[in-house]
Amino acid sequence: MKKFVFSTPMGEKKLFLLSWASPVMIVLLWEVYCRFGLIGPEILPPPSKVLLAAITLAESGALLPDLGISLKRAATGWCIGAGTGFLLGLAVGFSSIARAVLDRSIQMLRAVPFLALLPLVIVWFGVGEGQKIFLVALGVSFPVYINTTLGIRQLDPKLLEMGSTQRLTTYETIRRIIFPGALPSILMGVRYSLATAWLALVIAETIGASAGIGFLALDAREFLQTDVIVLTIVIYAVIGVCADAAARFLERRLLAWHPNYSPKR
Amino acid sequence: METPGGEQETLEVVVVQGLVRSYGPKVILNNLHLRIRKGEFVALLGESGCGKTTLLRVLAGLDSIQGGTIHTPGAPAVVFQEHRLLPWENLWRNVSLGLHCGRAKEKAAKALEEVGLGDRLDDWPRNLSGGQAQRVAIARALVQEPKLLLLDEPFASLDALTRIKMHKLLLSLIAAHKPGVLLVTHDVLEAIVLADRILIMRDGGIVKEYVVKDYADKRTVQADLFEALGFAGGDSPY
Repeated sequence: MKKFVFSTPMGEKKLFLLSWASPVMIVLLWEVYCRFGLIGPEILPPPSKVLLAAITLAESGALLPDLGISLKRAATGWCIGAGTGFLLGLAVGFSSIARAVLDRSIQMLRAVPFLALLPLVIVWFGVGEGQKIFLVALGVSFPVYINTTLGIRQLDPKLLEMGSTQRLTTYETIRRIIFPGALPSILMGVRYSLATAWLALVIAETIGASAGIGFLALDAREFLQTDVIVLTIVIYAVIGVCADAAARFLERRLLAWHPNYSPKR
Repeated sequence: METPGGEQETLEVVVVQGLVRSYGPKVILNNLHLRIRKGEFVALLGESGCGKTTLLRVLAGLDSIQGGTIHTPGAPAVVFQEHRLLPWENLWRNVSLGLHCGRAKEKAAKALEEVGLGDRLDDWPRNLSGGQAQRVAIARALVQEPKLLLLDEPFASLDALTRIKMHKLLLSLIAAHKPGVLLVTHDVLEAIVLADRILIMRDGGIVKEYVVKDYADKRTVQADLFEALGFAGGDSPY
């Protein structure tokens, strides 16, 4: 298959540099505006001060434990949510009975913005760890569920026919045809779910946390420490970007056979 | 039949009697009878919609039947019009799909060697041309050591020159493995070149049969076949 590429007078490397030039320029402008007093420190601190806040906080030993607690919440919630979504997706993808029983209810639940459940979740779990992990798990399970069922349903029936004429057992059919065939879609769900996991965590941590990145932001708000507030936002962003990069890495490794994911030849 | 039943079974790879397949009120296969001997190459010709692909799918166990009996020793192997290779598995793993014994890689390598792709064991299906992919599909079928090989227009989407090469390759593979073959095709010349016996299907049944070696001149069988397919006299441009 021939790849369609817009013609450009610039090389790959130059384009890559250019793509980084604009964010760097924005940070520089931000710094300059703050330094000249065009933006007051109570509105937005200069990037240098945010960096300084990061170093001071890290040295005082407050930043890393909070970061660790947030990561642990996200990881636990993600594992529970993605696991549930994946298993339900497999069941509904494979069995028409499971689909009849489960799919409509799940689709109806999905129509509810999961953050709208927050007050109810607080009533159930209080404002402890349970509430935060549950909210993350809830947000994560839907994209994984939907993309798993979709991946299985979109399988080419001709490949399944071929599998039956090669006399594959049910287990072999799942392992060698259905699962790899559904994998691109499943991994897409994983990538979406990582984004929802962060969204859920930010909301959950902003309500009655006593540790974690969200707590750090809340605490800073009380004392109008805009540098710490911006720092927490930057940390959320960096972790989000890292999670997405990890998911992309998985895609490149597991989908090397796929023309859309393979490295350029 | 004059031969005793036991002997018959060893000599025939397919015995189909009174086969009926219907889809709602539409009858697709209507009281169809077919026998294929061991090592015999049979081609099925007929217009689109006459039921020839349905017959192949029934024999492959992909479609159910509403009446009649089918006897085949062991499951047949199938080559479809599309190669149907798994894009996420390399060539030798594609070929060994469904091999339930040890030495799967060794067998797959030998099969790929036979179709001229012995140096591409670890390559991916997307790097193959249409003809190469179809050669892998043939290897995947033959590695099963089937007594009956079902070919559903396997060369229909290849260009004319590649098709000729594939005919040559297929004939040598058949000579080596000696399976009974049922080929479904639209191509009269392909049927004449490959088959021992050519069957004409119409309206869900087999209406005529031609044994190719009975003809001294292949042009005569060609003329007969075109006539049977509805091109009388000079109607065919061939």
